Amino acid sequence: MKNWKKIAEASQLPIPEPDLDRIAPALDALEAAFRPLTKDIPNDVEPAVAFYVFPEAAE
Amino acid sequence: MTILEAAAALRKRAVSSAELTDAVLKSVRELNPKLNAFITVVEDSARSQAKAADAELSKGADRGLLHGVPVAVKDVFETRGVRTTCGSALFKDNVPSRDAAVVEKLAAAGAVLMGKTGMHELAYGITSNNPHFGTIRNPRDPDRIPGGSSGGSGAAVAADMVFMAMGSDTGGSIRIPASFCGTVGLKPTTGRVSRYGVMPLDFSLDHMGPLARSARDAAVTLQAIAGFDSRDDTSSREPVDNYVPPADCSIRGVRIGLPENFYFDRLDPEVDTAIRRMAKNAGSLGAHVVPVRVPDIAALNAVGRVILLAEASALMEKHAGNRALFGADVLALIDQGRLLAATDYINAQRLRRMMQHDFAQVWRRVDCLFTPTTPIAAPRIGETTVQFGDQTEDVRLASTRLVRGINVLGLPALSMPCGVDRRALPLGLQIVGRPFDEALILRVAAALEDSTPAPR
Repeated sequence: MKNWKKIAEASQLPIPEPDLDRIAPALDALEAAFRPLTKDIPNDVEPAVAFYVFPEAAE
Repeated sequence: MTILEAAAALRKRAVSSAELTDAVLKSVRELNPKLNAFITVVEDSARSQAKAADAELSKGADRGLLHGVPVAVKDVFETRGVRTTCGSALFKDNVPSRDAAVVEKLAAAGAVLMGKTGMHELAYGITSNNPHFGTIRNPRDPDRIPGGSSGGSGAAVAADMVFMAMGSDTGGSIRIPASFCGTVGLKPTTGRVSRYGVMPLDFSLDHMGPLARSARDAAVTLQAIAGFDSRDDTSSREPVDNYVPPADCSIRGVRIGLPENFYFDRLDPEVDTAIRRMAKNAGSLGAHVVPVRVPDIAALNAVGRVILLAEASALMEKHAGNRALFGADVLALIDQGRLLAATDYINAQRLRRMMQHDFAQVWRRVDCLFTPTTPIAAPRIGETTVQFGDQTEDVRLASTRLVRGINVLGLPALSMPCGVDRRALPLGLQIVGRPFDEALILRVAAALEDSTPAPR
């Protein structure tokens, strides 16, 4: 898991340590759910910067 | 009384807009001290708008079904000359110089604006337990939350204080209070309703829509507020449909998907029963109810959370130093977003595109989906966890679990009452449709209402 305190420190974010302790479990849980999803994104997939209706959805 | 009933009564001169407005003001005076649904009531301007509506209607100048009908908007919609707080200490004295597009459109339709409804701080949460403007209570049981973030709108409509109240929905904030309070709540497709003049929580997940007493009332409202707006970069030029279902609307032949995966896991059993009963009702009305597998909604929720945390924190970055001005729960979310990597945000948006494509395949098989809106009825105020068998879940994550992903996909979805549990608390059915097919989900909801009037 990431060390959120070190990330906050490196980013010079003035988040008090007790607050960091409080949010770390939520961030860890999100990290566990999100990280595996990023492994298989094909290179040609661009960000969804605008809402796009795929043709299948319009049928 | 619904908007349609009020509209008919106004045109028969059985009641005047001034009388409806007086009745609403009386109701607000009686109920608001207990429920705290409104942050601001604009009594004088409401009375003058009602008087003008009566004068126009008496001359035959009819602006449509909302003409002369008292409504409210969440305190996230800017109102010229009227304080707009976003439920935040940061904006407690904010008096905008413009109206939000939705406020403009409601005014053009002749609706009478009664005031601004309370909300979860910055629209960033689902309890509406607001540290700056007080706790909003659920009219069905004042010891319980109304849901959020549009909790004041849900409470005001459920308590019959107004005919309709506008909400905003970034991860369920219209549908959750609709479910907990027992109203209809509609989140339209991305781009269907202008976000211009709405204080943002998130750039790519915010949607505006009504909470109302019936599906047809939600449809009447959508008819008035939908359409392209060049002032909103995400606004769509997709033609505006005819949304209001006729009195004898049919759903014969409509293909309704009942998800086999995710949506029926970890539910209060009474919610499960209520949704399946609604599906059976739809089947008895001639719809084809079919089981359908949906893409990975848990993954979709994770993607949605990364996007929301990052975008909301980007918006709040300039205020984040004033830690004393935020409630603890909102501050925790802002801090979380500040710790995410930029690469994670970009990859979340790439995953979003992949998931939108995957989900589009669902519409080859069905025209809409039936799911629960929330896995539970309204929790008690202060309750932080909920139990599903031997699993404990955070109330906020449980309440958003079935609705958040739909914002990521940009699809239209509504919540409608589908019965009550053993404690007489309302339960919500979520109907999700294809992009820009609000007309279909409203028709399905109206047909279900016609066949099984919701308990009130």
